[in-house]
Amino acid sequence: MNVERRRKIMSSVALLLSSLAALIGLFWLVFILADVLINGIKGINLSLFLEDPAPPGMEGGGLRNAFVGQLLITGMATVIGVPLGVLGGTFLAEYARGRTISRIISIISDIMVSVPSIVVGTFVYAIMVKPLGHFNGWAGAVALAIIMIPVVLRTTEDMLSMVPWTLREAAFALGAPYYRVIIQVVYRGAATGILTGILLSIARVAGETAPLLFTSFNNSFFSWNMNEPVASLTVTIFQYAMGPYESWHTQAWAASLVITLFILFITILGRLILKWRFGR
Amino acid sequence: MDALEIEVKALNFYYGQVHALKEINLPVYKNRVTALIGPSGCGKTTLLRCFNRMHDLYPGNRYRGEIIFKGRNILADNIDLIDLRSRIGMVFQKPTPFPMSIFDNIAYGLKLRGIRRRSELSERVERALRHAALWDEVKDKLNESAYALSGGQQQRLVIARALAVEPEVLLFDEPTSALDPISTAKIEELAVELKKEVTIIIVTHNMQQAARISDWTGFLMLGELIEFDRTDKIFTSPSQKLTEDYITGRFG
Repeated sequence: MNVERRRKIMSSVALLLSSLAALIGLFWLVFILADVLINGIKGINLSLFLEDPAPPGMEGGGLRNAFVGQLLITGMATVIGVPLGVLGGTFLAEYARGRTISRIISIISDIMVSVPSIVVGTFVYAIMVKPLGHFNGWAGAVALAIIMIPVVLRTTEDMLSMVPWTLREAAFALGAPYYRVIIQVVYRGAATGILTGILLSIARVAGETAPLLFTSFNNSFFSWNMNEPVASLTVTIFQYAMGPYESWHTQAWAASLVITLFILFITILGRLILKWRFGR
Repeated sequence: MDALEIEVKALNFYYGQVHALKEINLPVYKNRVTALIGPSGCGKTTLLRCFNRMHDLYPGNRYRGEIIFKGRNILADNIDLIDLRSRIGMVFQKPTPFPMSIFDNIAYGLKLRGIRRRSELSERVERALRHAALWDEVKDKLNESAYALSGGQQQRLVIARALAVEPEVLLFDEPTSALDPISTAKIEELAVELKKEVTIIIVTHNMQQAARISDWTGFLMLGELIEFDRTDKIFTSPSQKLTEDYITGRFG
């Protein structure tokens, strides 16, 4: 067998194997999404969004409390996490650029990104739930914020570092003080990248269950009060899916679909912004 | 007779331990173009960046000696760098438009100086763009991104931005090395035109460029100023052997 023939066969085999691997991976992904879609769509109706849960075992009711709670917790987490992440990233990329402290914080953030979220949940449980004696919404928001911070911080740092140094020099050469250089020139140059990072970090925490299980827990009633347990979609899905009632299962499927679509939407939005900015 | 604008006296500069400029003495004449030439790494850009104290941005840099401008040593600790940099502007090698509209680019330095009135901003933006020979090309798209301009236009935009704050001196750091020949010619014409109002110091790798646009030329090598004289003298009968070897292309 000549060399070229052998190479062609090897190439075909490699192509076949990698295609198969991709297909197997894709199959499960499509399977899960299709399953969520098919089962979830049955439970989608207006009362799901407008009504609070019916008493256990009763038909009807909705998950208004969980939708509102989810938005409340995720929103507060964003309010806490994004400024800290952006300012931290600014410190690393600008004021501490090239210094050892910057490297150390970057590495710790990278580790933080991959810390299991349940660890964050138990940590916040220890500092914000145990001392107060009851679950509360703030603890949930803080837990999600802690997960967000390293993501936002690293993205901000990377995006700011991509702004050419000569641009800063040009602003300095016009007599601008450093804080104005950062706010007016560097942030503008990196704005879309940072925004994408923020959106992706929201998508990341919106699907978290474990940290909320230990912090905001769940609430069968509608509540705006962050000092009390607050319902969330993910924890509700967890409880309803384990529950004995058929109507709970349907609602859990519907909630899964809604949150999946929400995360999908944010992720796609983030990607689109990134493509629009850097695609050219 | 040429009048003195800046005088460099026994200037030494250190990047940490590296002695980059050695005992430089150099006059810069008002409303003239002074070119700094020399082989790569000779210290010409380093010297240029002393005039607006750009070196202060990085730790470990040290000056010794004096640069006298308006009767004051601008290397002194008590110099207001913001004020200094508005009097001595700088244009870099690669065009550095800010990520904002053409108008906002020019208005940036004006806003830093506290000018907020829209009418005054508009007027001074137009004047700066006319000065930089860019007005006719951009007057209909002032609100578009500066990134939409060509490289040569961006460089003239940056010059307009520097001119807007009405500096007395403009520093050019190889302003045409990233540009095509036509854009280069425009920038060169502009430099000659601008010297009616500002004093220009230009660092260039291109000796023809130095010969074309400058009145005075300084030749640097290994951190020392080898020769400084009128440009025609430097290019026709330099007094130093090193200068002659460099401009005739024997090294460099």
